[in-house]
Amino acid sequence: MSKQSELKKLAYLTLRNIKLYFKDKMTFLVSLITPLILLLLFIAFLKSTYQDRLLSITAGFELDQSLIDAFTGGWLFSSVLATSCITVAFCSGMMVIDKINKANVDFIVSPVKKSTLQLSYVLSNLFSTLIIALVLLVIGLIYLAFVGFYITFVDFLLILFNIIITSLFGTILANIIWTFTHSQGVVSGVCTLVSALYGFICGAYMPISMMGQGMQNFVSLLPGTYATVLFRYGFLNGILNEMGKTLPQGMIEGIASSFDVKLSFFGSEVSMPGLVLVITISTIVLLGIFLLINGLKKRKKHKKFANK
Amino acid sequence: MHIIEIKNLKKHFGSTKAVDGISFSVEEGDLFAFLGLNGAGKSTTINILVGVLTKDSGECFVNGFSIDEISKILPSIGIVFQSSVLDKNLSVYDNLKYRAMLYGMSKKEFEENLKFFTEKLELQEIIKKQLNKLSGGQKRKVDIVRALLHKPKILILDEPTTGLDPKTRKLVWDMINKLRRETNLTVLLTTHYMEEASIADNVVIIDSGKIVAEGSPLTLKNKYASDYIKAYKYDEKIFEILDKTNIPYKKDKKSLEIKFKNTEKAKNFLVKYNTLFKDIEIVKGSMDDVFLAVTGKELKEHV
Repeated sequence: MSKQSELKKLAYLTLRNIKLYFKDKMTFLVSLITPLILLLLFIAFLKSTYQDRLLSITAGFELDQSLIDAFTGGWLFSSVLATSCITVAFCSGMMVIDKINKANVDFIVSPVKKSTLQLSYVLSNLFSTLIIALVLLVIGLIYLAFVGFYITFVDFLLILFNIIITSLFGTILANIIWTFTHSQGVVSGVCTLVSALYGFICGAYMPISMMGQGMQNFVSLLPGTYATVLFRYGFLNGILNEMGKTLPQGMIEGIASSFDVKLSFFGSEVSMPGLVLVITISTIVLLGIFLLINGLKKRKKHKKFANK
Repeated sequence: MHIIEIKNLKKHFGSTKAVDGISFSVEEGDLFAFLGLNGAGKSTTINILVGVLTKDSGECFVNGFSIDEISKILPSIGIVFQSSVLDKNLSVYDNLKYRAMLYGMSKKEFEENLKFFTEKLELQEIIKKQLNKLSGGQKRKVDIVRALLHKPKILILDEPTTGLDPKTRKLVWDMINKLRRETNLTVLLTTHYMEEASIADNVVIIDSGKIVAEGSPLTLKNKYASDYIKAYKYDEKIFEILDKTNIPYKKDKKSLEIKFKNTEKAKNFLVKYNTLFKDIEIVKGSMDDVFLAVTGKELKEHV
């Protein structure tokens, strides 16, 4: 079978998986639970809590309301994207759903390579996550356009890059786990766990600076934290620059540290390129693990055949 | 030409011998029935043939290729599973399109084949409908189109009519027979319905992973099943003769059923006592009788 033909199969399989995900309303809604929780939390009390915190840091200085609104809005949408890129990736995978519905058997009896099928799951998972993340980004940008827009073109590109790399990270991590399970229970369990926990451990629900030192050290070891901080940087850097016109630099540093625009790794500040590097290398390492697992599984199957 | 050939195939699941050294072959264009109770080893054999399961030992050839080269075999096979494995949330059209493209079909080729089969099976009205909105019979028709869309040489039907009502079952079979006539399609069928097995060119009966009988339905009936004289009008003197000769019989309000080991014996009895009968018929033993004779099990009790 030619490479072109295999690519065509990959394209159709990927399309089929994406279509199935968006047609399954239940799966789709479950994967949006985390951003919805965040939105509710924000409307209920997070917005005022963060406004108060910001005002307490800048006490004695006048701050324009549009800057405050843009800051809290930027913080909300950086949280929404930081969590969604991971939780949607975990909840939008079709691999296990196919195993449960036995659709995978239909693909085994079709002339399509196992690697093509596997890759289609990863790609569709990634594209579904990206579609949702980009829709959330557009909503966020529209909201910020109303309350106060300070995102530069470079920051916007950084946000886009971060959406892609974090979604890829979440997708590969999820697919590594899905490779080992056939159970809907495990999928639901992992999905719920990730949706509930990830927002806390990546610093999306509350700033890392508000956590205890032990917890701060722990989350600084997780690649997801770096993605969150990178999102904060993309959304809030422009606002901080704007604030810098009226507030002293030390105060800006304080705000940046308090709201996770900067991350400290065991006392040393991680630069923006450092953040990019950590999340990129982590994704490459995960990809290597994923390929290794699939390679070993394939070898094991061949060995089984050869021994017959 | 043998389009399917299986030699001494074995498959164990732990200590259970699911398939225990079976050998058989299927001729091109034949309807071949694989008959057995649930758990007899039919589906395991089918799953090995199409690469879903690996064999423990033995050899299998499909369309001239060993199943170790499964990628060369799959384009020539279409399979209908016991229950549908298509995507319930997608439309019939999308389901068929996404599956057809896995066979390297062009869009034009797909549309042509789709038109051919939807017309044959009268699927035009449901083609845009979501799969989970269809009736059981409609779903089965879609399963069959999915299996045939790439025009395979061999159609494997794994208990295709289980759970279907008699009317839908007939519909499915009418369609398969029509396709066989028109395309010389080889059909490998696993079933526990006797009426389906009795129309096959060849039948293999499998029990606990072993082949216990094989041949055409007629050969099997002649070899293993009894024949009956069914008499509707007869002289009462016949009972004296039956009791004296120890020939088994069964009498009800409408008829008298006399059991013979084979047609020859039934014929001889009729010739000898023809004056005692006025309205009779000779009934051949059924595939149920064959199954009972070779396995010692009643098929109906188990399904």
